[in-house]
Amino acid sequence: MLASIDALQQALAGVGYLADRRLATAVFLALKLQRPLLLEGEPGVGKTELAKALSQVLQRQLIRLQCYDGLEQREALYEWNYAAQLLHLRVAEGRSQGLGEGDDAEREVYQGRYLIRRPLLQALQAPAPGAVLLIDEVDRADEPFEAFLLEYLGEYQVSIPELGTISAACKPVTLLTSNRTRDLNDAVKRRCLYHWLDYPDRERELAIVRAQVPQASAALAEQVASFVARLRSAPFANAFQRAPGIAESVEWAKALVALDTLAIDPELASDTAGILFKQREDVAALTHELATELLKPDEA
Amino acid sequence: MTPRLGNMSPRLGDSRSGKLADNITGFGRTLRRAGVPLDASRMALALQAAQWVDLGRRDDLCAALETVLVSREADRAVFRELFDAYFRDPDMARQLLAQMLPTAQGRAEPSRRRPRVNEALSPPKAAAQAGAPKAPDDKIELDAAMTASEAERLRQADFNGLSASEYQLVERLARRIALPVPVFESRRTRAGSGGARIHWPGVMQQAARTGGELLHLPRLRRRVQPLPLLVLVDVSGSMERYARLLLAFLHAATASLPRHDVFAFGTGLTDLTPAFRLADTDAMLAQASARISDFAGGTRLGDSLAQLRLRHARRLLGRRTLVLLISDGLDTGEPAALGRELAWLRRHSARLLWLNPLLRFEGYAPLARGAIELHAQAHGMLAVHNLSRLEDLAGSIAAVLRR
Repeated sequence: MLASIDALQQALAGVGYLADRRLATAVFLALKLQRPLLLEGEPGVGKTELAKALSQVLQRQLIRLQCYDGLEQREALYEWNYAAQLLHLRVAEGRSQGLGEGDDAEREVYQGRYLIRRPLLQALQAPAPGAVLLIDEVDRADEPFEAFLLEYLGEYQVSIPELGTISAACKPVTLLTSNRTRDLNDAVKRRCLYHWLDYPDRERELAIVRAQVPQASAALAEQVASFVARLRSAPFANAFQRAPGIAESVEWAKALVALDTLAIDPELASDTAGILFKQREDVAALTHELATELLKPDEA
Repeated sequence: MTPRLGNMSPRLGDSRSGKLADNITGFGRTLRRAGVPLDASRMALALQAAQWVDLGRRDDLCAALETVLVSREADRAVFRELFDAYFRDPDMARQLLAQMLPTAQGRAEPSRRRPRVNEALSPPKAAAQAGAPKAPDDKIELDAAMTASEAERLRQADFNGLSASEYQLVERLARRIALPVPVFESRRTRAGSGGARIHWPGVMQQAARTGGELLHLPRLRRRVQPLPLLVLVDVSGSMERYARLLLAFLHAATASLPRHDVFAFGTGLTDLTPAFRLADTDAMLAQASARISDFAGGTRLGDSLAQLRLRHARRLLGRRTLVLLISDGLDTGEPAALGRELAWLRRHSARLLWLNPLLRFEGYAPLARGAIELHAQAHGMLAVHNLSRLEDLAGSIAAVLRR
């Protein structure tokens, strides 16, 4: 259905996700080569949004696994419904027919209906056309969890001791995101395609702001895009600990619309700095002078 | 879609001959020479990927190969420079050829590409014969020209490998003086008595055995893990004598910790974590030597910490990292800036510990400007006098961790 990179790019734009060509190429290859795609990048550049957009474009169900420290197999893959299993045992006991010996007992208790499917298993068992699986912020989970993912990422299958190996009927489109709080294991990277998501250039950001905040005037959107683009580039970027992401610039544009702004002035910029920055030092760093500098019209 | 040949006019990688596969594998080899880790399965995947893009569009091919062949942000710049040189720009290729001819050396415009890329592009033979010793020399000249005006004295660290007796000493110390890194209860669990949660799989196993009767409830307890450790080692002039063995000891002692990051600082910050991942201590020292460019110079702890904050803040995990600072506190930077950076570090770490191997005086008091700030901000501090043996230093590290 998506025959070319252009078609994919357009389809993504159709659901409101403006991907640049490099990203579209990476996603296109991930689809064609049926490999997971690892997305790294600063917070707020649209890694998670891509998965949402992709699930809309492909009309596949989005299944999300949010990773966190201490995430274990029972939250990621499957868990048995122990209460129901126990009940089963007691009922069997109560009927005084007893359980069968050994193997039978096991088969009765560990059957499909007592299995609670967690995201990975859901993704593998999703009916056609399959699912989009988002393994979000995989760097937050610990290294043993990465090792656990290897079988899934490499073969699109998992092994459950009681049930055997479960492989995907339709290979799920798998996206992993990472904020790089640590480097991922090479074994994980080897199984994935890789794309580093940068902040968008000024034009793309402008297009995104205009698409997301249609109420903003063209001039205001231009101003927002230029301001944020400059903020992120040298020499201004060094003044801040964390540059604002796309989400922040969109929020900021919305706020400015809410304040009935026609044009940003330095005072307004530093007054609303709390939307662009989430750290006290950064908010303080956006002084009146710096804002004036950032708002200067382009020399070109 | 079948691979089409586009209007590229390559010099080095000529795809018009229809040998796309050769070109891509050749490019892969070049990339590997530049230090980008690649294996054969990646190359096969790259060939597959090339089938799916329009070869007439150079940017698509570049993006496709990058997606497949690169897996770290750090390698992207090298990849793109190499791609440009390899697949399109005949001028650049000519320049490169000119540079390789000895007679043209004077006239050739100095290449803007990084030395790693140039080295990888030169034929392997030449690199082995002349390139390896020559390339670093060239680079140093260039660097010297750029930094001549700066007053700071920069020196490449030059750590020798350990002698046999040193090696034994380091190994013995690391075994005997275990670093008492505090532990925390992680969110991972294991079966064990006294836990708060019930170990359901265990319950089921038992129940299946006894026909549903529960005789006791197996429990889950939280796994205990050492806190992540971040070590900042001063390699400035005043700490020069100790740096080598100190690093060797830290390497041996931290090997068993699941998470540790090591940085060296002098006038700037050097990330030694990749070096510390090497199993072999000598290999670690060799890589540390190559990385540290401000060895035995001045100390600008404030600037170094600012770099830590701006570039590596994410290494400080959830305010639970134990930060160990090994420095004599003789800082030449701005004390106010140092105070700010230290306050930030203190806020973002579980404990900020300062080991002060002050080598000069007996009755030491933290009077140096930097030392005052350090003293005010550190959660714990230990000063060691008359530190002459590595044994004392190792013992002190253990002692300060106990605070």
